[in-house]
Amino acid sequence: MTLTDPTVPLPAAGTPVSPSLLRTLPGRAYSDPELFAREQERIFERMWICAVRSGDVARAGDFRTVQVGRENLIISRNRRGEAGAFFNVCRHRGARVCAEASGEGKRAFQCSYHAWTYDLDGRLVAAPNLTKMPDIGREDYGLRKAHVREWLGYVWVCVAEEAPSFEDTVMGAVRTRLGDLESIERYAVEGLELGRRITYEVHANWKLIVENFMECYHCATIHPELTAVLPEFADGYAAQYFVGHGALFGEEVEGFTVDGSAGLERIPGVSEEQDRRYYAVTIRPNVFVNLVPDHVILHRMFPVAADRTIVECDWLYLPGVVASGADISKSVELFDLVNRQDFEACELCQQATDSQVYAEGGVLVPSEHHIAEFQSWVTEAVR
Amino acid sequence: MIPVCPLAQLAPGEAFRFEPEGEVPIAVFHTEDGEVYAVDDTCTHQDASLAEGWLEGCEIECPLHGSKFDLRTGEVDALPATKPVRTHAVRIEDGTVFVALSDEEPNLPPGVTR
Repeated sequence: MTLTDPTVPLPAAGTPVSPSLLRTLPGRAYSDPELFAREQERIFERMWICAVRSGDVARAGDFRTVQVGRENLIISRNRRGEAGAFFNVCRHRGARVCAEASGEGKRAFQCSYHAWTYDLDGRLVAAPNLTKMPDIGREDYGLRKAHVREWLGYVWVCVAEEAPSFEDTVMGAVRTRLGDLESIERYAVEGLELGRRITYEVHANWKLIVENFMECYHCATIHPELTAVLPEFADGYAAQYFVGHGALFGEEVEGFTVDGSAGLERIPGVSEEQDRRYYAVTIRPNVFVNLVPDHVILHRMFPVAADRTIVECDWLYLPGVVASGADISKSVELFDLVNRQDFEACELCQQATDSQVYAEGGVLVPSEHHIAEFQSWVTEAVR
Repeated sequence: MIPVCPLAQLAPGEAFRFEPEGEVPIAVFHTEDGEVYAVDDTCTHQDASLAEGWLEGCEIECPLHGSKFDLRTGEVDALPATKPVRTHAVRIEDGTVFVALSDEEPNLPPGVTR
């Protein structure tokens, strides 16, 4: 079996098995390393991936390295303030150029093996004896570039030779869920500040995490605190089941906090209709956005193995809120709790993916039927 | 004096490298403060072009190993380079940068000749 020619394609997800039930993907779809490699190649290495927060690389020479599919990238900013993404591979003998996860104020990226040195635009600017080899083009042998966009205060990258339309895919996903782009623009996400970041190492396949985020059939069972704030979640229909729907806060609830107590200062652009509501968007393949009146929670997922995913979750508030040192702990605690409850459930699923009982997969109830579309999309992408 | 380039082609913060006939390569720098300086382009430690380095104030940091040279004096701040680079007189006339080459011997790194 090779990566480009799988002998055992995935069976179609979403096949009806009874009036209420649709078939899920089989268990091996979540554990097979070969399928995982194919997902990296066909999904993560072809689509736009939300890599780092723009503020993580605020000044010239600040950088972070991130894993996108099987590629490692250096995300940085040049002296003109433009974000750049470079394959972290020396053009000389292929060593990883930047071994650190992050850093500040770099003047160049230098390979530690033979000192081939690249400037903040990726150009090869120095190497021992380079001036004696005028045939080595500074651009030709510069770090290979990935496509870059900055949107919502994040640096998005695409490692494919040709990137899909950012407007159609990333912005399109937001438009599809919220009905329009103005709805998210009112939160002015790019102007918010990082209040808290929590990184989770989840021992589960990335698709389990996406599927979990898409449905709310589990909410009343594993998210008592969330359901107390958003009572309609108890009926099992997630905000993502609908278009442009925000789940209304409970009558007694003052804010999106772990105990329903008041939140922080409301984001000024949020409309009256959006006030006291929770909106959620999945931007395939690696982003979840949660919008509430006083903050935005943005998850980025980085799959590292079939059964392991790193999730970086940012809580974003108005700059004044962060600068004032206001207590954000109650709002952070709510979704941190939700995350841990969700990831524990995903890990329980992961543990059973290779059981003979789950070889054919399981079933989706009506409030989960929209997951079949996601599973069909994955199946199609790796075919 | 050798004409090098129009000043307008050398934005503040940028460098221009040129090789006069029979001479070592020269680098001309336009600092953010608007001063223009010329020094030998080759680091005195190992063959690397200072024009590709990091210009900050009146100092140019070698891109290869980070020794910093003062553009006004040519002096080096720290290892691995130990010898200064030559400085050359600069004159701007009618918008053109002219350089008068130093008649001292250059401090070239091992293996580099004129």
